[in-house]
Amino acid sequence: MFEALSQSLDPALFWEYRQTLAEGLLRNIAVFLLGAALASAIALGVGLARMSRFRALRAVAVGHTEVFRNVPEYVLLVWLHYVVPILLTKAAGARITFDPFFSAVLALGLAYSGFLAETVRAGILSVPTGHVEAGRALGMPGGVIARRIVAPQAARRMLPEALNQYVSLFKATSFISLIAVEDVMYRVAMVASYEMRPLPLYTGAALIYCVVIITATTTIRLLTDRWRRRGWV
Amino acid sequence: MLGNAERLVWGNRELILEGLSVTAQVCVVAFLLALGLGLTACLVRLYVPLLRPVAIGYIEFCRATPIFVQLLWVNYAWPEVFGFPYTVMQAGIVALALQSSGYLAETFRSGIEGLAPGQREAALAVGLTESQAMRRIILPQALLTMAPSIVNQLVVVIKSSTLVSVIAIPDLMYQAMRIVHQWFEPIEVLTSVALIYIALIFAISATARRFAEHLRRRYGLGGET
Repeated sequence: MFEALSQSLDPALFWEYRQTLAEGLLRNIAVFLLGAALASAIALGVGLARMSRFRALRAVAVGHTEVFRNVPEYVLLVWLHYVVPILLTKAAGARITFDPFFSAVLALGLAYSGFLAETVRAGILSVPTGHVEAGRALGMPGGVIARRIVAPQAARRMLPEALNQYVSLFKATSFISLIAVEDVMYRVAMVASYEMRPLPLYTGAALIYCVVIITATTTIRLLTDRWRRRGWV
Repeated sequence: MLGNAERLVWGNRELILEGLSVTAQVCVVAFLLALGLGLTACLVRLYVPLLRPVAIGYIEFCRATPIFVQLLWVNYAWPEVFGFPYTVMQAGIVALALQSSGYLAETFRSGIEGLAPGQREAALAVGLTESQAMRRIILPQALLTMAPSIVNQLVVVIKSSTLVSVIAIPDLMYQAMRIVHQWFEPIEVLTSVALIYIALIFAISATARRFAEHLRRRYGLGGET
């Protein structure tokens, strides 16, 4: 067992394949950034629609949130990649296929927009109504109230939960290799079968993710801590 | 298209139900294991100063590693190092349990730490031992406040369990992909499976929400609306 344990860490192997693996990791980061941008944009719209005056808009927003919060990410990924192009092909009459990278961004963006929409809604609801009323009493127009009173407070309260969601999103990029995006796990599997040594590679992959995520979250928490506390009542 | 659905989905209902039952088994066993591991990790972190760094390391590792990576790691690396797990089923269960135990440990910790310290002090003052106070005073109250997050974690386990199909555990997703590969007609099967998952998870989270609301009204704690 101890021999196996010492074999399970082999930095030299990672150094040898550093370029392949780093390329894969960059692809994960690209999917993560685009997916996070897409998710945030949709979430903002849906979160606001949840509080709209129009019942139909609210119903659509609730439907969106329930579907995307409850569907497993992997199922959504596979469904978007294999089913939607066929449906579009039938509708358009021309052959349509999705690039795996495109499907990955779309699937993860949609999946996490459901969670983030809830975060947006909770953040906005957490702003005391008295603040909005005070703004109105001072004669501020609605847009100014939203921009200067609600948004800054809501954003601060949303941050910790939104950060958790972004971490989950980044972790979810690990299985986009399943629709053949050449991400880091794809490369790891490639090298593992080429070298016939799955042990150090999978252990290393787990450690890489662990280090990347812990470093990123700690840094972001430290950097945003002061901003978040500013103007805190 | 409806004829297709009948042939592909209804015609394969036995496979699909079989997959669903494997999914249920994997999720239930993994979740129970995760509860045990999570509680242990949390108690060690809180009450065993000597082993605290180990517990923190374990919790952080479980939380910061994606489930898919853990799954492959447990499946490919563990047998060589520990001589365990013996089957893919065990590997899938262990990986799912590992991931969730980290989150559950943190849930338990916030539940226990969120309790007013006076509760424990009062229990000790009336002559209960530490472990009696934990068992009879602290855990029951903490469990009430933690109930919603614990159910949320069950939902996460079910969602993550779709990935165990990758290491050839014949769960719902695995059977779906098998049917898809057999007929090359993904629309009906994948859509049905997605709907089954959505319905299943929606049912659990809706029940959990009502249950949390019930607890909140009955005991005046737990659950936010």
